[in-house]
Amino acid sequence: MKIWQRAFMLTVVPAATALAALLHQPDFPQPTPHHFTKIDYNGNPLPHWSGPWACVCDQRTGLLWEVKTDSETIHDGLWTYSWYQENDGEFVAASSNPGTPTNGLGRDTFNIGTPNNGDCYFEDERCDTADLIRRTRKEQLCGEQNWRLPTTGELHSLVFTDAKAGQPKIDTAYFPKTKRGDYWTSEQGESLQKVYKHLRRGALAVSFVDGQSITIPHRNAAFVRLVTENSKSCH
Amino acid sequence: MTTNRKSLRWILLHSGAGLAVICSLLTGLRIASLARPQVARFEELLPQGQVIELHFASAVAITLIVLIYIAYRLIGGRRAAGHAQVLQWPGWHRAIIRAGYPLLLLSLVSGWLLFAGGARGVRDLHYLAAFGVLVYLALHAGLYLARWGRQSLLRIALPYWGPRSLRRWMVGSTLLVFSVLLFTGVWSATREQSHLPLTVTHIPLLHPEHPPMAIDGRTDEPQWQGAAPITVYTDGGANFDEGETEVTLRALSNGEEFYLAVRWRDDTESLAHLPLMKTERGWQVQQQGFHNFDETRHYEDKFAVLLSSSCTFGAAGTTHLGRKPLKDRPANWHGKGYHYSSNGQLHDLWHWKAVRTNDMFLADDNFIGPPDQARPGERRYTAGYQQDGKESGAYVMNWQWYKPGVILPKRLPPDPKQLAALQSAGGDASEWVIPWFDYKPYSPKQDANYPEGTVMPSVIYNSNRFEGDRADVRARGYWQDGYWHLELARKLVTGSPLDVPINDGTCLWVSAFDRAQVAHTRHTRAIRLNFAPENSR
Ligand code: HEM
Repeated sequence: MKIWQRAFMLTVVPAATALAALLHQPDFPQPTPHHFTKIDYNGNPLPHWSGPWACVCDQRTGLLWEVKTDSETIHDGLWTYSWYQENDGEFVAASSNPGTPTNGLGRDTFNIGTPNNGDCYFEDERCDTADLIRRTRKEQLCGEQNWRLPTTGELHSLVFTDAKAGQPKIDTAYFPKTKRGDYWTSEQGESLQKVYKHLRRGALAVSFVDGQSITIPHRNAAFVRLVTENSKSCH
Repeated sequence: MTTNRKSLRWILLHSGAGLAVICSLLTGLRIASLARPQVARFEELLPQGQVIELHFASAVAITLIVLIYIAYRLIGGRRAAGHAQVLQWPGWHRAIIRAGYPLLLLSLVSGWLLFAGGARGVRDLHYLAAFGVLVYLALHAGLYLARWGRQSLLRIALPYWGPRSLRRWMVGSTLLVFSVLLFTGVWSATREQSHLPLTVTHIPLLHPEHPPMAIDGRTDEPQWQGAAPITVYTDGGANFDEGETEVTLRALSNGEEFYLAVRWRDDTESLAHLPLMKTERGWQVQQQGFHNFDETRHYEDKFAVLLSSSCTFGAAGTTHLGRKPLKDRPANWHGKGYHYSSNGQLHDLWHWKAVRTNDMFLADDNFIGPPDQARPGERRYTAGYQQDGKESGAYVMNWQWYKPGVILPKRLPPDPKQLAALQSAGGDASEWVIPWFDYKPYSPKQDANYPEGTVMPSVIYNSNRFEGDRADVRARGYWQDGYWHLELARKLVTGSPLDVPINDGTCLWVSAFDRAQVAHTRHTRAIRLNFAPENSR
């Protein structure tokens, strides 16, 4: 190579590299695919890093979950509920669990659990799981009407063991305002143990402190996250 | 020309110097990219990771090579240099080499001054010298390469290989071993012995005449009289005059608790933390950089203390610069880098915030641990920087979801008069936080009462205190006449696995933030706690 050729290479290559670095600016981080999808209040999916959202679709199970807030609406994460189920007579017949008539009105209705023993602002009396279910169905949260309590297995599918230090065992980026406490499941009629033994039967709850399930009395105030299947926005 | 080669020792010295200078230059430019956007434009050409430690290691190497070279020239190197003329060096090659010496010397002197503690202008001088070195490298190496091509590379890489006496071999290898040992010794001395000592004065647990220590920012208790202050020059922060501020520290301990008094210059008291402003389209977050997690205008003042049993450069080795220092983890948004521990060790991070924590008489108790796993739902990946306790402890922001455009507030004051004080003068600290129940949940009807241009705070306290691990550090600051005064206290040993015990030899680093989210000031040398013996007072 001649001197001028080398000189040319030695100027052009570094200059071009520097120019390329100057002109090409690195991309901002992009979201990666994930099994959770945020669903807005009307049932429309949102991109990963957007919000606000009212429900989360879990593609692994096809379940649509209620998302808690700090808005003081019925979905506020601070509210607690006693376990209570209003059953029409026909359902009680099919149920293997002994129903307890509680309303004393003489109607053919058998209800299970303890009404109005949790804390919330949205009922005149105190709150139970039936209140939240009734109101959420009426409101058609995320376009759905079939909101119900999750089974233990369903609720367990949200337990996330890699949660950050001191946080509830759930992916708080999708499920904010989750408390480190017990969340009711639909499974009731279980025998109570230890201090609760005299109350005989209670319902199962999943603790988001450690991800374990425990049976607690119906009258306890615990948190609730509702679920629905076969939803339009998650299947 | 093959017969007339450079000596082995020349080649070793020259290659060592060349490599170390290139390493200094690249790592130095990466450091410069933190505060100089024009350098950051070239970020893809710069190394990432623990560059600060590398910068100092190469600094030690260059310094030693320069000293060895000077010694070599003084002790008879002159002769050797005299007859090594092979390539026909035109005069300007020599001129370039000569011009290189003062530039390198300027880099070294300004670098060591910066290391010693800095002062206004030293950083700029060091940066300018680095540019000189860059131009020098381009001219020096470029012209040789242009003129002689591959031959010039062979010449600096292949030594003269003739018969040597045993004595020469012995002397040569002794010198080599000596140089390696010298480097190791000086480097470990630089690492281990360069700390700034801060004496922790012992005070009695109970004193009949002295009042108990009140954590109120005011160091008027007689106990503070006995604490010896040190002043640390910190720079590289956003907004501070020239990005720099001097931090004065004093420390006490009563055997149970550790007390730290801090004072730093900040001409303005900044309390407007990402305030909301009503526009014709709705409420907007006032921001200039927050979207990329690098707000430098609408932010509160802050102060951070990092504590560690490690005293390694770069904040106990936790500083990893660059957009993506970890290949398999998400990048950061601003390209500056992030903190994490690369050896599994935990480091404590106290983060006092003039609005978000000061009213609770607390500092956030955070920690820096190993890099966290990627969390697909989170837009910001913070690597090793994590909160100790429960989710967002006591404050929440007054928006349902942050967006650069219009947001929906979570809560509104029932009466517009509640915001009156903020509309003109800016208001004092208590006005920039919203006690949860002073406001009501957002409603469009209530929103209609607020005219365009209304400013509203965005920090809501939802309970009085952090709970559990996050509430270990008590802190209170106040601003007066261009200075922040901050008092911090924590148990020496908290028992939490996420807290570093404080004892003799614990190192700390301090950073001041002037209405900046991440662009804080920093200092090079660790501050090392020196617990005075109990009977000294
Ligand atoms: C050829 C030699 C060197 C070059 C090219 C170089 C280059 C640089 C550059 C460009 C910066 C960034 C300045 C800025 O922030 O704008 C820097 C920072 C620094 N350099 Fe050097 N440097 C060299 C040698 C040294 C030496 C010998 C020391 C002595 C210890 C040193 C100590 C420092 C220090 C303390 C900083 C600041 C680090 C920080 O901000 O955290 N440098 N250097």
